[in-house]
Amino acid sequence: MDEQARSILQRIIKKTPSKRLETIIRSWNCLSEDQLHSLNYSQPKWLFLENLVSRCEVRLFNGNVTKTEIKLYKNHIHNPNQGTWHACQLFQAEDDALSVHFTQFRESFIAHLEDVVQHVSVGMKKLEDGAIWVRIAWGDNFRKPNHLKPTYLVHYLQSSYVFIHNVTPKHRPFLYQALVLATRHVSIKECHLSSRSLTAMRDLLMKQYQQVVFLVLNIFPNTDPNIEREHAESSEGRHQMACEAFGCGVLPKLETAVYKLETRYRGNSNNTLNDGDELFRGVVKFSSKNILESLRHCVSTGMAEGPVTPLLSSITQKGRNYFVITDKVSGATASQTPAPKA
Amino acid sequence: MMGGRAVGMRGSEMEGRSSAVNTPVRRPVTRRSKSYGRSCVEPPSLFWQTPGHLTTLGHRIPTSRRAAKSHNITEKVDPEQVALLLDGEWKLSYVTPLFLFRHTQLKLYSKRLAAFIIAEKQQGVAVEVGLEAGFRVSFSAVLGMAETEEDAETVFIQIFSRPVFGADGSKPVWQGWLTCVNGDPEYLRSLPPDFTSLPLFCSRGAESLSALVKSWFQRTFDCSFGALGLSSSTLHWLAALWTGCHPAAGIRYLKLGWTMPTQPPLDIEYSVDPQDAWELWNSVHKEDGADERISVDEVQSFINGLETHFFRHFKIYLSSGTLTKVSTALGSAHHHGKIKMSSSDYISTVLTLLTECALLKTPV
Repeated sequence: MDEQARSILQRIIKKTPSKRLETIIRSWNCLSEDQLHSLNYSQPKWLFLENLVSRCEVRLFNGNVTKTEIKLYKNHIHNPNQGTWHACQLFQAEDDALSVHFTQFRESFIAHLEDVVQHVSVGMKKLEDGAIWVRIAWGDNFRKPNHLKPTYLVHYLQSSYVFIHNVTPKHRPFLYQALVLATRHVSIKECHLSSRSLTAMRDLLMKQYQQVVFLVLNIFPNTDPNIEREHAESSEGRHQMACEAFGCGVLPKLETAVYKLETRYRGNSNNTLNDGDELFRGVVKFSSKNILESLRHCVSTGMAEGPVTPLLSSITQKGRNYFVITDKVSGATASQTPAPKA
Repeated sequence: MMGGRAVGMRGSEMEGRSSAVNTPVRRPVTRRSKSYGRSCVEPPSLFWQTPGHLTTLGHRIPTSRRAAKSHNITEKVDPEQVALLLDGEWKLSYVTPLFLFRHTQLKLYSKRLAAFIIAEKQQGVAVEVGLEAGFRVSFSAVLGMAETEEDAETVFIQIFSRPVFGADGSKPVWQGWLTCVNGDPEYLRSLPPDFTSLPLFCSRGAESLSALVKSWFQRTFDCSFGALGLSSSTLHWLAALWTGCHPAAGIRYLKLGWTMPTQPPLDIEYSVDPQDAWELWNSVHKEDGADERISVDEVQSFINGLETHFFRHFKIYLSSGTLTKVSTALGSAHHHGKIKMSSSDYISTVLTLLTECALLKTPV
């Protein structure tokens, strides 16, 4: 087994908890039942690796290597702490974009990529939920494709979104070009949405989270019924606003949102700084286990004033979490409302 | 003695000290008894019934402070010792005055503390059992940190472990220091003789060792320790003090962090461009020449400006959350009582503020 393949396998074994090892190895379909039974999962991992390697020598890494590697990585990559995903969107679909199916996409993508990048190894797999996973190992004239630092790409055919993980600036243009051509679109743009959780991004962009509205009263903690009656109307109003801005039910687990502020100072009114045309620059970063839920809670409890500012509601409405905010100048008068730059 | 200044010794050794006059006539009897393992600090109202002489610290929250001045502290203090103070983050506590603490006995204290730690460890109490054969403790005086006549000199403590298998135990496993910088002179003068006030305690290292050190101090000097958190007003002062240093020192950024009590909790970090922050500060703070004092109103105005600018964009009331941290290139401070000083030029300023916080928090 070659050195690199072995390192990959070693890394997988090391990171997978022992309890799940058996399930994962079984799912590879690379070992016979007898071989599977002969593995001892309670061994120390280095010993287990040796045993596995000796059994897999011939079958695992013969034949279609990259397909197997995708199986190896799929479970690995769903671990949320494995680096950041970035979302992109395809624009201007050609007439036949909708009819592109998996085989066609695969052939086209690989062909276009190999046209521009020599020594690249591409593996692709379509999953039950319609997601196409692409794994790309990049090489060049002096090096074989590096399977230890692959780029991952996830695309749902018939949607215009692509999620990319771990691509260098050098390779990105090639990737974009191959994508655009293979999906029969004209251009691709970054979505300014990034997160460690692929599922959160996918749910946010493909709006798969709007579910049943909870009853208002179920959400608030128990307070004095008189007070609750008094405030029922206003709190219902706030709750309504919160749901409209961010969604109802369970929200995608987005962890951060970053705003780069390039607006004029809007502090105290009795301040000479207010007169300046100077920008008051800064960066605001929101972070939480689930910022959408936190922000929704801010609005529904009154920590945030309504109506919800477009800066915050844009996260869900536009599906992004990086914004540059500048002063909007409309016609003759400069508007006081800061607006997110596209 | 080097440095031309005697280390802070209380009592009749000091010539012409007025402390004898100001010492309260009534002293609480319990204070004098050495009861090991029991804190003798009673609430002030019961025992310190001395209206004029002893300062009631609660009324001493200043409404103005001196601006942060760049002090080349390495002129007064050994640069190697300064480097120890700048190296990383410290956890803060306050300490009540130490009874019969002598700066001349540091070597003895080193031996006693080491023995104490080893003894406690052998009883299987608190300290993680490792391959250490023992501990070596070093107490040293950091001369030159004291700013006034009343300040006692800073004491630095290091604990080194002695590993069993020959490797050199030269890297400390625990460090801590006690200090008093620009402490309230009236309060310090009013302390009874034999009491030394080093109200600010900074520590770093295993929590178990911190607990042992505190325990030893409590038994030996009849004092008590308490956690020193940094309130938002203290953090506001630091934000203003540090921002004011930008032209001289270059703060690189002003970062403020809040935590909002949402489900799940939301952290908001606002990082302001340093020049813009400074200009905002400059617009609220009137430079009044030589004295260079900063008033609490100016600080409040500065922070309000930032919070309002934030509000105009996000419509979120930062005041419904807690300000948890402030940081610039000159240092950082956390609400839970953590401080990091990255620039030797402003150590005195930060320590003055922290000494004051410690004194305010001290029950006696």
